[in-house]
Amino acid sequence: MEWLRVFGARLRGLFRKRYLDGDLDAELRAHVEMLVEENIRRGMSPVEARYAARREFGGVEQSKELHREQRSIPFLDALLEDLRFALRGLRNRPGFALVAILTLSLGIGSTTAVFSVVDRLLFRSLPYPHDQELVSFGDKAPFEANEFVLGPDYVDWKKGQTPFESVTSVVPGGADCDLTEKNPVRLKCALVESTFLPTFEIQPFLGRNFTSDEDRPHAPRVALVSYGLWRSRFASDRHLPGRTIALDGKPTVVVGVLPPQFEMPNLGHDDILLPAALDGSTARGPNARQIILRAFARLKPGITIKQAAAAMEPLFQRSLDYVPPQFQHEVSFRVRSLRDRQIQDARVASWVLLGAVLAVLLVACTNVANLLLARATSRVRELAVRTALGATRGRLARQSLTESLLLGLLGGLAGCWFAQFLLRFFVSIAPDGIPRLEQASVDVRVLLFTLGVSLLSGVLFGLASALGRPAPELLVGKETRATSRGMLRQVLVTVQMAVSLILLAGAGLLLRSLWKLETVSLGMDTKSVITAGINLAEYRYPDSAKQLAFFDQVEARLKRMPGTTALALSDSLPPSGGMQATFLSSLEIPGHTKFSAGTGGMIGYRFVTPGYFPALGIPILRGRGFSEEDRAPAKRPVILSEALAKKLFPNGEDPLGKSFRFGLQTEWHTIVGVAGDVKNNGLAAPPDPEFYIPWKNETAGYFRSGNLIVQSAIHSDAIAKWIRSETAAVDPTVPVTIEVMKARVGKLARQPRFTAVLLSLFAGMGVLLAGIGIYGVVGFLVVQQTREIGIRIALGATPRNVLRMVLSNMVRWTVAGAALGLLGAWLCSRLLESLLFEVRAHDPFLLCAALLVLLAVAFLAAWIPARKAIHVDPMIALRYE
Amino acid sequence: MAPPRGEVLQGTLDLIVLQTLQAMGPLHGYGIARRVQQVSEDLLKLNQGTLYPALLRLEQRGWISSKWGASENNRKAKYYSLTRAGRKQLLAETESWERMTALMARLLGDTEGG
Repeated sequence: MEWLRVFGARLRGLFRKRYLDGDLDAELRAHVEMLVEENIRRGMSPVEARYAARREFGGVEQSKELHREQRSIPFLDALLEDLRFALRGLRNRPGFALVAILTLSLGIGSTTAVFSVVDRLLFRSLPYPHDQELVSFGDKAPFEANEFVLGPDYVDWKKGQTPFESVTSVVPGGADCDLTEKNPVRLKCALVESTFLPTFEIQPFLGRNFTSDEDRPHAPRVALVSYGLWRSRFASDRHLPGRTIALDGKPTVVVGVLPPQFEMPNLGHDDILLPAALDGSTARGPNARQIILRAFARLKPGITIKQAAAAMEPLFQRSLDYVPPQFQHEVSFRVRSLRDRQIQDARVASWVLLGAVLAVLLVACTNVANLLLARATSRVRELAVRTALGATRGRLARQSLTESLLLGLLGGLAGCWFAQFLLRFFVSIAPDGIPRLEQASVDVRVLLFTLGVSLLSGVLFGLASALGRPAPELLVGKETRATSRGMLRQVLVTVQMAVSLILLAGAGLLLRSLWKLETVSLGMDTKSVITAGINLAEYRYPDSAKQLAFFDQVEARLKRMPGTTALALSDSLPPSGGMQATFLSSLEIPGHTKFSAGTGGMIGYRFVTPGYFPALGIPILRGRGFSEEDRAPAKRPVILSEALAKKLFPNGEDPLGKSFRFGLQTEWHTIVGVAGDVKNNGLAAPPDPEFYIPWKNETAGYFRSGNLIVQSAIHSDAIAKWIRSETAAVDPTVPVTIEVMKARVGKLARQPRFTAVLLSLFAGMGVLLAGIGIYGVVGFLVVQQTREIGIRIALGATPRNVLRMVLSNMVRWTVAGAALGLLGAWLCSRLLESLLFEVRAHDPFLLCAALLVLLAVAFLAAWIPARKAIHVDPMIALRYE
Repeated sequence: MAPPRGEVLQGTLDLIVLQTLQAMGPLHGYGIARRVQQVSEDLLKLNQGTLYPALLRLEQRGWISSKWGASENNRKAKYYSLTRAGRKQLLAETESWERMTALMARLLGDTEGG
């Protein structure tokens, strides 16, 4: 422990330097004085005595130096010395320090903010233990983004599989359910297998998981409650497990509470988990092929995803035998990591943003490196003096690195603050565009990353000036020029230009794509349209008669609303997906052969009231729209979309009056009209062909959920209030989700908008920083060459000659930078391809535009300082030295 | 043969300083240097300046402590005194030193006798 005491003493010695130095001084002086007195007493003359004392004592300064070394920790001492020196240097040049720190904080702040977002998507582990072993697997079909498993296949695969430690399934979509005690609430329930928690290695916070016995049809109902619901609804009652609650009117025993950080594998936050209650017999029953499941599994240790897929392939092939032949070649088997399934297409966008922000950081570092080099050039004399006085090259390099590290850390500090601000901005423009964004925050992990980035950039931009060779011979001459460094600075500017051009080109592509996406023709008119989504609770509206009655009443009431120009009900809304669908191959028309050998792709259909077409401004191209009479049970009219009409009657036959049947239905529908095509698959994807069936006045349909569509001249807020009060008058417990159609459509472009806005922001930063860099370099050259310019002007050079002299350099680097940047943009835009909509990755027009912007900025940045050169007064310039 | 006037070994100097403070009580640096010279009858040529890093080292280890006070001539001087840990250290070092010298004496005596 003695070394600890010594270390502590030395550490203390580090900080009370001035005091301790004074102390030592006084002590040594006293000693020498005593020696002198003693010598005088012995009979020496005062001068002699002092001389003898000095000799006896030895070197005072050496003694002090030894003492100092003993007193503290030499390495730390030197570091503190360097830091103090660096701080003083920054204080002496507040302008330089401010610009450097601001520049760095832009770069580091953006990097931090973007990292805190993409970290959750790309790097940070999911909230499940050993998350890298978790996979999702199943059939992959063209009509569905995520893999799925059919009921009987799931049972077979689960029994026959070898690569997985455990397998579980979730019923997709979840469902609304109602807690029907006093103060009923609408909740989100998910149906999962009893193996769900064990597979994801989740321990219930309270109570237990449900057993496989409870996960059977007709077993007594049990439930797991989410932590949030437990806190808000059950007042954190630790005795909740074992209690019976009323769920959708049925008694259900709560067996456990889920942990706080629990989330569903599809990122959902469901309130209640219920047993899926599928056993072997259900999953093989008559309707088993209509049971669709999401299957998840935990890989056995050492098994890769590829190996797992290969091991499952035989099972999949066997299941294919049950698939109708026309599907077989369109379905394949897929295993992918849970992370891949969760982030889907956000992966490319994440990497693009991370790359962009690192490019901005690079440009920022380059700028600061340039600033430091400029300063080093003006400090050449100081460095030469220090070298002449015996400072080693290593010592000077260390000093200079300390300074840049300090700058890096200060920039990082300011960057953290900037990152908070940026993050808030990100969240505000993309509330649901990017998964997990709402969780993003600057936490310890992000701060560590920022620290690393700050230090790394400190080294990066400090290296150029730290490695510079101090030249003591400069003390002799008057001229202080550093040509090799001038060269380095030009290279740095070239790099900046290239990087900025790549950023600009990328941003241009995304912006153009976004513009196309937002102005894409929807095939309908969303102006002054308001929609209201209604989802009836099963326990209050158990049968279709009651459901129909509710919607009829609401429709009748809203028809009386003033200002309404059109009113409609439909089961789904364009342009997002989610409509009912069938395969082209299931469509039948008398006298026609089958339409497709395979599935033929998806055909969507909707149930709509007659007001649907006028309310959304969808044109009826041929025939007629629906009328109120069409809602009578006996009538079976249908309206095709134009795309479907062309598909079914490719030879220009008249579809009107033809009969038509689809799916497993036996009734024939008569085609009465053809409507214009409407986007129905999101904004970017090409629309599926679709057809319309009247929303009927009969109870056979399934109308638990519906959408009201209101077109009105009155302000949306007033309409919203009206709709709410009218539905509340029918049943106050029914929740209504009101949306302005335009905003609904706008939401669909959120993720592309997020990526485009961010990339443009970063491109803007990059270009701005590059401009500042060029400005700095040209300005510095002009100052350095002032004497030369003065002589030239004195010798009769015209302003044009001077400009050419100053700018010719600039033109050279700009051309080099632009060429490099064009090459880089050409290569990098490939990576953006999957994010683009109706824009080619190698759009020459956009590349040219980006190049023009960059050249304009470069020219402007060079022009301002270059103009100064013209106005150099030869007299003053020559007197300069 | 006259004994050589050697440079002082580091460990030896520590021991001498501790022993001096044990014998004389609190003392300032000048006093310690004087006393060392008297006792060694100038056999040890001590460069007095080197005493101070040694004092600091002993202080850092907690064997001696220092305090400002007034000297005989009413001059301000720093007084060093032995701490408890220093006393213990002195005892241990004296013992090991004695063992060492005894061993050396026996060894050298044997050589001369044989």
